[in-house]
Amino acid sequence: MTREDFIAVDRFSFFYGEKQALHDIDMRIPERRVTALIGPSGCGKSTLLRNMNRMNDLIDGVRHRGDIRLNGQSLYDPKVEVISLRKRVGMVFQKYNPFAKTVYENVVFSLRVAGRNRKRELDEVVERSLRSAALWEEVKDRLHDSAFGLSGGQQQRLCIARAIANQPEILLMDEPCAALDPTATLKIESLIRELKEQFTIVIVTHNMEQATRCSDRTAFLYMGRLIEYGDTKQVFENPREDETEAYISGKFS
Amino acid sequence: MRSNTPHIIREFDEAFLSLGGKVSTMAGQTRINLERSIQGLLNRDIDLCRAVIADDADVDETEREIDAEGLDILMRYHPVASDLRKVISSMKVAANLERISDHAVNIAKRAKKMISRPLVSEAKLIEPVYSLADALLRDAVAAYIDSDSGLGASLKLRDKELDKADKRTTARLSELLEEGGENAELFLHLVFVVRSLERVGDLAVNIGEDAVFLDLAEDIRYRRKAAVAIVKEHPVGNADEDPVQPGQEGDEGERAGESTGSGNE
Repeated sequence: MTREDFIAVDRFSFFYGEKQALHDIDMRIPERRVTALIGPSGCGKSTLLRNMNRMNDLIDGVRHRGDIRLNGQSLYDPKVEVISLRKRVGMVFQKYNPFAKTVYENVVFSLRVAGRNRKRELDEVVERSLRSAALWEEVKDRLHDSAFGLSGGQQQRLCIARAIANQPEILLMDEPCAALDPTATLKIESLIRELKEQFTIVIVTHNMEQATRCSDRTAFLYMGRLIEYGDTKQVFENPREDETEAYISGKFS
Repeated sequence: MRSNTPHIIREFDEAFLSLGGKVSTMAGQTRINLERSIQGLLNRDIDLCRAVIADDADVDETEREIDAEGLDILMRYHPVASDLRKVISSMKVAANLERISDHAVNIAKRAKKMISRPLVSEAKLIEPVYSLADALLRDAVAAYIDSDSGLGASLKLRDKELDKADKRTTARLSELLEEGGENAELFLHLVFVVRSLERVGDLAVNIGEDAVFLDLAEDIRYRRKAAVAIVKEHPVGNADEDPVQPGQEGDEGERAGESTGSGNE
């Protein structure tokens, strides 16, 4: 059974100093589905995504109100350690950012950090993660070459393999295809559709077609507010809110 | 309905304006063609009948242009929401209008044959059938242009009236046919004219359904109950009478285009 409120955002507001970036966001993100966050630049979609991983903690002068719960557990519970949280949440960024290491070492990086060094276990993780990231066939003979020798699309899939090596529950993707060509983009999108069998995926995208192609749910944010959230098909074919319609059809002046 | 806020790409608005304009033009051409085919028949005006047959080519050309522009918009701009529905339904409306114009041609061709024979007073029998068919076509086009889902859905219910007139008139003409005599061939032509008009009504109902889809993103084809619900929710302001007749609800109707006899003979 899919849990409908796997990620529960409860009246969440977020402030950078005096500036309020998110206003009372309330949404339930279902388990093992792809949820797309769309909206114009500065609408707060990346801020919301990064809050799901507490990545904004490091910025000075930020504060929040409300709560975000992952599988029932509050992210801001004082008992939650950020390190253990990050194990539950994998993250992929706009610009692929493999480490200056071999393909193999990139994938097992988080396991080594956690002190897991048994070769057989690491070998298994590498193969499983690279297969899940649809990269295994392309790199299985180059596992010990530098990650920088891969193409852009391959490097991004390597980052996805790295993000899922630790078997997180949630995969957050911030414009994962922004730096890729159309072919590599389609590969990543097809991968996203496969990965949702195992992970709950939240993706920030500027690309409307991408949201329609690979997400099940779409949330439209505008000026820090959640304007509309629903099934992707409904949001793009028959949006309920005028602002959503104006944005997706390109009518913001 | 499409908002009036300009699109960030000016050419997008221009393309939409052109597409909408072409559909309006085609609707006008089609309605005039149908009207002239009936006038040609009743007034025994062979030039008018010839004009209908010739002008059908313009309707065909406009349909082709609408399809080409619609495809162009889909390919270039990837429209969504009401814009997407506008493109899709414009192309569907154009296809229905083209077939209505084909029926006008059928009528004009039969009229030409009838004009070569002496006048029969029974030709007047088709007038009420034409009035009903034309009213449906007029309202279908209006519903589409104004994105008026109430008016669009009401056509599905009002078409019953045309069906009854068709049955009544055809029954009368069949009686005359059975009597035989030298006018039998004329009565047969009239039976086919009435049949064409009935099909025009069905095609107008299709356009009404496209108007509902455009306005509400709801597909009411083959769903009479949905049409009844929409008419109740969006009452038609200037309707002459309540289009929902008792006993009609839940009666799933046939849709024009799937049965036989729609094209040019």
